[in-house]
Amino acid sequence: MITPFQIAYKNLLRKKVRSLLTLVGIMLSTWVLVSLFGFNRGYEAALNRDIDNMGYQLMVMAKGCPYEAATMMLQGGKGLRYMEPSMVNDILKEPGVAKVTPILMQAFFDPNKGESGGIAGFYGVDPASYPALKPFLRFRKGGWFHDSAAAEVVMGYEAAELEQREVGDLTMVPEKNVPLKVVGILERTGSQDDGTIFVPLKTLQRISQTDQITTIGIKVKKDADMEKLENRLYQLKDVQVVSFSQVKQTVMKLISTARVMVFSIAIVALLIAMVGVVNTVLMSVLERRQEIGILKTMGAMPGDIFRLVWTETLILCTLGGVAGIGFALLFARVTDMLARRVLPYAPSGGLVAIDLRISLLALSIIVAVGLLSGLYPAWKAGSIRPLESIRGE
Amino acid sequence: MMTENDWSLKARDLTRVYHRGSEEIRALDGVSLSIRRGEFVSFMGSSGSGKTTLINLLGCLDNPTSGALELAGKSIFGAGKPLGERELTRVRREVFGYIFQNFYLIPTLTVQENVALPLAFYRKPGAEEEVERLLKLLGMEQRRDHLPGQISGGEMQRVAIARALVNRPEILLADEPTGNLDTRRATEIGEVLQELNRSSGLTIVMVTHNPGLARLAGRQIEMRDGLAYES
Amino acid sequence: MCAAAAQPVLAAVGCDLNDADRDVPRLFPDSTGYKTVYLSIANRGGAPLLRKIENRLGVTYLSLYAPIDVPYTLYEVYRDKRKIGYIHGVNQKGQFGGIQVFMAQDLTGRIKTFYLQKITGSSASKFREAGFTRKFEGVTLRDFDSYDPVRGKGSGRLAQIANPAPELETDFYGILRGLKKNLVLMEEFVFAPERGKP
Repeated sequence: MITPFQIAYKNLLRKKVRSLLTLVGIMLSTWVLVSLFGFNRGYEAALNRDIDNMGYQLMVMAKGCPYEAATMMLQGGKGLRYMEPSMVNDILKEPGVAKVTPILMQAFFDPNKGESGGIAGFYGVDPASYPALKPFLRFRKGGWFHDSAAAEVVMGYEAAELEQREVGDLTMVPEKNVPLKVVGILERTGSQDDGTIFVPLKTLQRISQTDQITTIGIKVKKDADMEKLENRLYQLKDVQVVSFSQVKQTVMKLISTARVMVFSIAIVALLIAMVGVVNTVLMSVLERRQEIGILKTMGAMPGDIFRLVWTETLILCTLGGVAGIGFALLFARVTDMLARRVLPYAPSGGLVAIDLRISLLALSIIVAVGLLSGLYPAWKAGSIRPLESIRGE
Repeated sequence: MMTENDWSLKARDLTRVYHRGSEEIRALDGVSLSIRRGEFVSFMGSSGSGKTTLINLLGCLDNPTSGALELAGKSIFGAGKPLGERELTRVRREVFGYIFQNFYLIPTLTVQENVALPLAFYRKPGAEEEVERLLKLLGMEQRRDHLPGQISGGEMQRVAIARALVNRPEILLADEPTGNLDTRRATEIGEVLQELNRSSGLTIVMVTHNPGLARLAGRQIEMRDGLAYES
Repeated sequence: MCAAAAQPVLAAVGCDLNDADRDVPRLFPDSTGYKTVYLSIANRGGAPLLRKIENRLGVTYLSLYAPIDVPYTLYEVYRDKRKIGYIHGVNQKGQFGGIQVFMAQDLTGRIKTFYLQKITGSSASKFREAGFTRKFEGVTLRDFDSYDPVRGKGSGRLAQIANPAPELETDFYGILRGLKKNLVLMEEFVFAPERGKP
């Protein structure tokens, strides 16, 4: 026995090219929609990953102090400004602060570097609190410091490569001529850590003959009010606050503008595809007026005809939607590449993350919009009076 | 108390008026008649005579402007309020099967599927078996998997007839059933209808302008200017 | 986050001059220009070449920081349109850090200038003084035929060079080994192929 569903899809087969073209239209707009959702999800996740990888989210340092090693080197090691170590406790008291770590950056002059000498930078960290704020520290060889004042260094991958150091070798702090033992070499991270030489804070302070620090790294509690905390930190004397969330927010703002634009395009593409659907189905309804009239003489109720035509729309949208999703998954790598080329900043890792949830969401949107736009043709078909249609020859 | 054999169609003073602009056209001007079960009635007349309008009303394809219609004693028209599509459909599918000049088979469905098509919307008990029986009865068994494009005009009309009968209607309404057929095939169809009427007692109401076909009916009515004249 | 030095990554294992525009004229006084060429063991001869070099140096020298496809930077030095020599540097492991051993050679492979771009250690500056570096002018690869820098024994002019910083003995021999490595690499990359040409 034949079912209304079979009648519907066989109707679509009557004009194969027309149905195919409509399908392609839906497929393309689904592809755009799905890729967009995937990009949205992937980008934000990758960005979060990058920022999480940085470890702490806020840095507090003395006003005027460079917070990047590159800047410090450019300034010839000058321009370092210091803070009192007591600042650490003050900050720890702030609500919203989960963890802190004190850091001392120092530069020493090495007369034997290059033709007329150069500077060597060292990064003093507290072995107790620093690793907690950098959960992704991974060692290629060796391990962390043995105690908080050991005469040891841990080197970033590229720093070790440059100096041809292995675990157990010695390295010299120039200017002060203090030898330190290499106890660990880190895995390559692709970040500034690769070129960093880490020293225990107390050791570096001893070598530099100071008890001060340059930076405090802060990890905030998950539910903390970042903005409020930043404002409070700004109140502290003579400090500047650098927030990676600011970085993230700026980038997100850039991206959201792009996103709004692309979403608008996707909506337009969706509407165009839907207009195509309405057109196709309406045309086929008008072509089949007499036939529909006959169906009504066979006992088909207006509701039956409505459902029949609506089913045709549903079939078109579902098939087109599924094809579009398949397409998007297949070409996710290509979309990733295109996105990277276009964006001003792209974090590492997969940018386009299409999962089941996104696919289902896109599909349901396509189907919903399709069904909505199919209402008119279906209603029109349902209201055809057999008399007029059959007699109207 | 109505018995099976008393089943009938009773029309009383059926009138149908159309308005075209300010002009009033009386397509049907008060027709009354009765048709009993098993009768084969043909309506003849030139275009504009009202035969088409009459059959539309009898077949519940349209509402009359005034007048009454009873099917099996049940009043269909005449309660004063015109019936909506849904109600008309309900009556139609209970009582009538229709065939037309253009066969209106669905080109992407096979012969068998076309015959079974009404069952997708409405199914009287035992209808599935009717598909098989009618295919045999109308000689289309061998062609059951063919598409309409692969069979002749006469065969297409047979399929249409089978389709019209699959829900065991009381009345077969045939509107110019041989209009698109050549003489030989027209004769064939005429004989098919006659046979159906004779052997299964199917009530047939037919409109035609073919006198030869009209004469096959047991009762011939002529339409002129919106009125019916029985010979 | 500090960087140990603002040097490009590639220079980590092959050596680049810190400032070629300034360093080339200093190391090669009669030059007017230079061209930078990148070579690697992989594209000059592959694994067989690597083994040949290792045999000449006596040990598996090229350690974990120098895989076969690492690019070495060669500076071809010109006077007007004529090539007059080469400058090349290698990284050598020192006691407290990497030692970068550079040399400027003429077209026969003879050393014109010896330059330690980088060395770490409290008295390492002694190795950069002219009194020491001038001793290498005129040295060729042949001089290493009679002197083994691994064991520190042999004869000839190399054996006669004194260590200016006895407390950094490891680095002294390291410099000599680095120099031999540099000369061998140049021989295999440049001079031997050139001699092979008609």
